[in-house]
Amino acid sequence: MDSVRSPDAAPVPVKIVIAGGFGVGKTTTVGAISEIPPLTTEAEMTSAGVGIDNAGHRVDKVTTTVAMDFGCVTIDRALKLYLFGTPGQTRFGFMWDDLAHGALGALVVVDSSRLDDCYPAVDYFEQSGLPFVVAVNAFDGVLANDLESVRWALAVADHVPVIAFDARDRLSVRDALLVVLDRALDRAVSNSRS
Amino acid sequence: MTVPPGQEPPGIRPYLRSPVAPVSPAPPAAWNRPAHRAPDNLRPYVLTAGRVQGDHPAVNLETQVTIRPGAPSDVRFMPTELQAILTTCVSPVSVAEISAQAHLHLGVTKILVGDLCAAGYLDIHQLEVDPVHSPDVILRVIHGLRAIS
Repeated sequence: MDSVRSPDAAPVPVKIVIAGGFGVGKTTTVGAISEIPPLTTEAEMTSAGVGIDNAGHRVDKVTTTVAMDFGCVTIDRALKLYLFGTPGQTRFGFMWDDLAHGALGALVVVDSSRLDDCYPAVDYFEQSGLPFVVAVNAFDGVLANDLESVRWALAVADHVPVIAFDARDRLSVRDALLVVLDRALDRAVSNSRS
Repeated sequence: MTVPPGQEPPGIRPYLRSPVAPVSPAPPAAWNRPAHRAPDNLRPYVLTAGRVQGDHPAVNLETQVTIRPGAPSDVRFMPTELQAILTTCVSPVSVAEISAQAHLHLGVTKILVGDLCAAGYLDIHQLEVDPVHSPDVILRVIHGLRAIS
């Protein structure tokens, strides 16, 4: 017999990570589709501070508190999608494990005039094996570089989609997330076959 | 000599008063500090008695938390931070939302939520199926998003 879910039963949470450099439009992306105004929480990030703060050979752990924005979309009564924006500072862009653990996939938001800002995110997701999509934010509808140039510059694998979107537009963000979910579905299907 | 109630010498009473007995198991010693509002510049892990790792392994950012049915409703003996967490969890809510709404550091929130679960106040909802490996769940998300206009 199916149990009847009360309205207050906890939904199954799923999440997608919204990554990218500082000021590329991650919070705008979250806010465009979230049913609540983006919330902010403070989290601790640790990174190897090599070559940043210390001149010697020591590799120190640098721990700092950073703000993380997130929002959510209720899919149905029993399923809720969370969107977590990674903290923007590339210096502290490591230790995203908490964010990436259990995520369906990631959207790497890119400003095509500042491509190098997104390298840490692309590196991280390539190494962790999380399905990700590169989404070039078309500021005012204009791309500084065409998508093929972006793909070439980032040197991402052929199976990684590189798309253009507008972070302020709800439907554009929805479509970008759907591309991420297609990749997540591919992974889930191939995992269940193997 | 027995001092009549209300006539204890001033100045020492607050620290001698025994805390209200909580439900078993006993809460961590960190709860027994005076329940006044913490100053804004309090170092976050003071609230966890210095612990940076929670005892509950399944607490993630998106993990859903609710008040455990039948949990004691009198929580006045608790520090305000824990009361704030319980207030947030009346309907299902994620750990990240608790952190944002209770204005608590995320790492601290995860530890305190685990404590409140261990002490019988909260339920942490663990997933039976990992959504990452479930094509059905992902298809539902896809259909749900497509319905957005």
